[in-house]
Amino acid sequence: MAKVEKKRALSDDRLRDFLREMLLIRRFEEKVEERFRAGELPGFLHVAIGQEAAEVGVCAAMEDGDVFGSTHRAHGHTLARGTHPNALMAELYGKIEGCSHGYGGSMHLYDVERGNLGANAVVGGGLPSLVGAGLAFKLRDEPRVAVAFFGDGATNTGTFHESLNLAQLWQTKTLFVCENNEWAESTPGWQHSPVFDDMSKRALAYDMHSIKVDGQDVEKVYAKASEALDYVRSGAGPVFLDVETYRMHGHYIGDPQVYRSKEDRDEAAERDPIVRLREKLQVSSEDWQTLEDEVHGIVEGAVEFAKNGTDPQPEDALKNVYA
Amino acid sequence: MPELSYREAVRDALATAMRADEDVFLMGEDIAEMGGSMGVTQGLYEEFGSERVRNTPISEMAIVGAGIGAAMQGMRPVVEIMYEDFLTLSLEQIVNQAAKHRYMSGGQIKVPLTIRTQGGAGWSPGAQHAQQLEAWLVHIPGLKVVYAASPADARGLLYSAIYDDNPVIFFEHRLLYPVKGDVPETLEPIPLGKARVVREGTDVTVIATGPLVHRALEAARVAGAEGISVEVVDPRTLQPLDTDTLVDSVKKTNRAVVAHEAVTRMGFGAEVAAVLQEKAFDWLDAPIERVGAKFAPLAFAPAMEQFVVPQPADVLAAIGKTLGRA
Amino acid sequence: MATDVKLPRLGQGMESGTIVKWLKAEGDVVEKGEPLFEVDTDKATQEVEAEASGVLLRIEIASGEVPVGQRIALIGAPGEELAISGAPEMTGETTLAPAPAARDTEFRAAINGAREENGGRVKASPLARRMARERGVELAGLTGTGPDGRIVAEDVERASASASVAPPSPIEPPPPAPTAAPPSPPAALPVDVEAIPLTNIRRTIARRLTEAWQVPAFQLTVSVDMTHANALLERSRDLNPALRITITDLLARVCGSGLQRHPEVNVQFSDESLLRFPSANVGIAVAAPQGLVVPVIRSVERLSLAEVAAQRLQLVERARTGTLQLADLEGGTFTISNLGMFGVEQFSAVLNPPQAAILAVGATTDRPVAVEHEVRVLPMMTVTLTVDHRAVDGAPAADFLRTVKTFLEDPALAL
Repeated sequence: MAKVEKKRALSDDRLRDFLREMLLIRRFEEKVEERFRAGELPGFLHVAIGQEAAEVGVCAAMEDGDVFGSTHRAHGHTLARGTHPNALMAELYGKIEGCSHGYGGSMHLYDVERGNLGANAVVGGGLPSLVGAGLAFKLRDEPRVAVAFFGDGATNTGTFHESLNLAQLWQTKTLFVCENNEWAESTPGWQHSPVFDDMSKRALAYDMHSIKVDGQDVEKVYAKASEALDYVRSGAGPVFLDVETYRMHGHYIGDPQVYRSKEDRDEAAERDPIVRLREKLQVSSEDWQTLEDEVHGIVEGAVEFAKNGTDPQPEDALKNVYA
Repeated sequence: MPELSYREAVRDALATAMRADEDVFLMGEDIAEMGGSMGVTQGLYEEFGSERVRNTPISEMAIVGAGIGAAMQGMRPVVEIMYEDFLTLSLEQIVNQAAKHRYMSGGQIKVPLTIRTQGGAGWSPGAQHAQQLEAWLVHIPGLKVVYAASPADARGLLYSAIYDDNPVIFFEHRLLYPVKGDVPETLEPIPLGKARVVREGTDVTVIATGPLVHRALEAARVAGAEGISVEVVDPRTLQPLDTDTLVDSVKKTNRAVVAHEAVTRMGFGAEVAAVLQEKAFDWLDAPIERVGAKFAPLAFAPAMEQFVVPQPADVLAAIGKTLGRA
Repeated sequence: MATDVKLPRLGQGMESGTIVKWLKAEGDVVEKGEPLFEVDTDKATQEVEAEASGVLLRIEIASGEVPVGQRIALIGAPGEELAISGAPEMTGETTLAPAPAARDTEFRAAINGAREENGGRVKASPLARRMARERGVELAGLTGTGPDGRIVAEDVERASASASVAPPSPIEPPPPAPTAAPPSPPAALPVDVEAIPLTNIRRTIARRLTEAWQVPAFQLTVSVDMTHANALLERSRDLNPALRITITDLLARVCGSGLQRHPEVNVQFSDESLLRFPSANVGIAVAAPQGLVVPVIRSVERLSLAEVAAQRLQLVERARTGTLQLADLEGGTFTISNLGMFGVEQFSAVLNPPQAAILAVGATTDRPVAVEHEVRVLPMMTVTLTVDHRAVDGAPAADFLRTVKTFLEDPALAL
């Protein structure tokens, strides 16, 4: 797993690390889809294939001590911030070795040690508490940032608006990261938001500083995210980071995407951030194969680990209700 | 013993906690200079400043959510929701987030958040400013719910709620604020989950919450003159409920009345009645009676409001029914 | 090794899908990721891609509905030999263990037992039931003072300390006795009218008799020549100087025999059934300090006249000292009420629920009576039997009364 280090200029080595991470997320998600179709994984699953650059770029720019909350589409953030693939896969299989010990599943991934305050199944549901975390950092004068990940669909919820309003009012140390993948489940951007073509206008309404970035270029994402985090960390106020990305697959595994044209889906494939970085770095076929093999091994190992994991006792359902 | 009003008691609990602990801070609408719409936080802004007594915009979701987030980071925020009816606006954060973080994370997270709110009938507040919604909150695993009826209880329980590591909903009632009562010299924390026998008796147990504790005491006085000995028990904490104390009392008296200001139908009292019949079946000499508001929103006109809201006479009538003297 | 192609789970909650069309034929080369077949789920028809590369060796299910996880085809190396496929494997089936039958019978026995125990649906509070159970009291013999006639704890308690209800008929004149009464507020009345607060007993009597009032009852009256009965009583008293054997004792003994001969009168009506009692437990009204009580002499038909008198004396004594036990008062099947000592010639008593019959006894007086067309003066006693028509019809009741008269007029026949 790539260590999160604060680096400004990105060396090729660093970029290769990013490439490896993105590929790991990609193959992990593909494996999750495969295992789901085989009937091995209970519940809902939402994969973020196509959004790897957005996730890796922002997460790599975060520091130890920063906290974040994600959405129902949380595997990428979770892996990118250091949760071991074994722990994540075990959670998807509902084992106690999972990062939420079997209590959460795909949409409720927690890893407090790594600052992961939970994926949230309620769209926009996690935002207010990240305002609260940012408030705590401010009140205690800590150089930490609370990062709220959400999608374009969340920008229509009441919690989104109340959160931005309060964060800006109180100048909390919160970074709002909008992964605009242009789809809210089956509803395209133009159908759900009056400002879908420029989400940063949302921030304008609250007089909040906003930064826009191409989400399919991990380098750019990293750079802009670093800039945003520095700003927030300094106490200058919250920032709205508008990451324009693309959802290559359906909303959930098995989503037949009847609402998308084939051309649309093909176009998405052309915006594959992994392909773009691979080309930019001019990775050779052998190197690429080595990378694929390595990642394959990790992912297979995760499945193996998960399948051999321990099922919780039924009575464990009554634990952890209260502290 | 010194005397405090209920309002002063709540304020004292907040101030005591805030003086001792930097991590305790308040958020709510109009709680700073104005001292709160019910005057509860008067003086706190002057003592602790705007960083720790924070006026908020009208954003119940964000206020509660911010409380959740700060609590998750180890602080102990106390959020004021001006009217119990507005809890509805923040329910998503309370129910889906605060109540569930600990569970969904497999025990990694604590949410030591306290939400204070007040509600209830009196002075024609109208249907949207008068509800008693404790039944909704006691139904959610992960939440604790407290409803104190006296100044001493309010002070001791609020302090314990602040230091409980779980999200606690602390209900107050507008008609109770001016009520005075004896309090210990220094604040004595009262543990959550313990009921209090307010008045001892032998013929019938009345289990009451909030203002109905006082109305039950009045009914008990009148009944006493007729030779009926009434025991009044206040659960104080609604979740977790001190079923042992309630059941012991009913086993002693063989009759039970459950009284609350909230609507009777599907209310908290129904749960208490079910628990009593389950655990004290062979001790019951009469069906359990319930006293509560009639099934209608609260009308504006005083005569209609009085009709719907349970009065001491209703408690007395219920007592009579259990004794076969309807 | 060939790879199985199974119907994939395309969405949460998907249990089966319908194969609509194969996009490749057996023998075709297939690349991983190529669309292989179309399936209809309840949401949409969609293409499913191949998960392996190779040759589509066999299509096992060409079309139709298939459960998720079932093998539908095989992909493998060209020319690979496939085993003869048997029934396609099902994955992830759960079977429920058959419910054990033995537990069921136990459960049923417990329920039936509880129903029998409760007999004819007596209404009693849980507390009253428990107390009755603990003290071995028959709920069926009690009358409830709770709402709707529910038996409450007080009834079970009071049954041991004071009155269950009987129509008024003292055998001994009642000694003066104060009654404790709970105070109740006086209504507004003209100044010289006294409002006496209702005692519990008065309240109870009122309630029970109102209940009895609703029973469809009829009365049968007969006059009895007491010549031989009086003679028997005199001789019995001579034989047992310590006992004061009375008409009531004789009546009790005679009715006991009568009820044995006419068991259809020794019954009680209940919602579910007619309860028939094997023995005559005759209640005798007694005036106790607290009020009227009706202690019961059990299985009267087995007792001698002297034994009946002895028991009666004991019960009266206990009634007078307030030491009657619950067992003394419950289980009665018939009641005798005697107002003869007040000179009442004839009266009808009110039924003592749940009993089906009660005998009201008047004074024995010398009356002119026609016997074989001659007027004779004989000691005559008029008795009236009140009967619950739901439980007993006119003819059997009359038959019983005739037997009683016969026994009284010739007591030796009652033996």
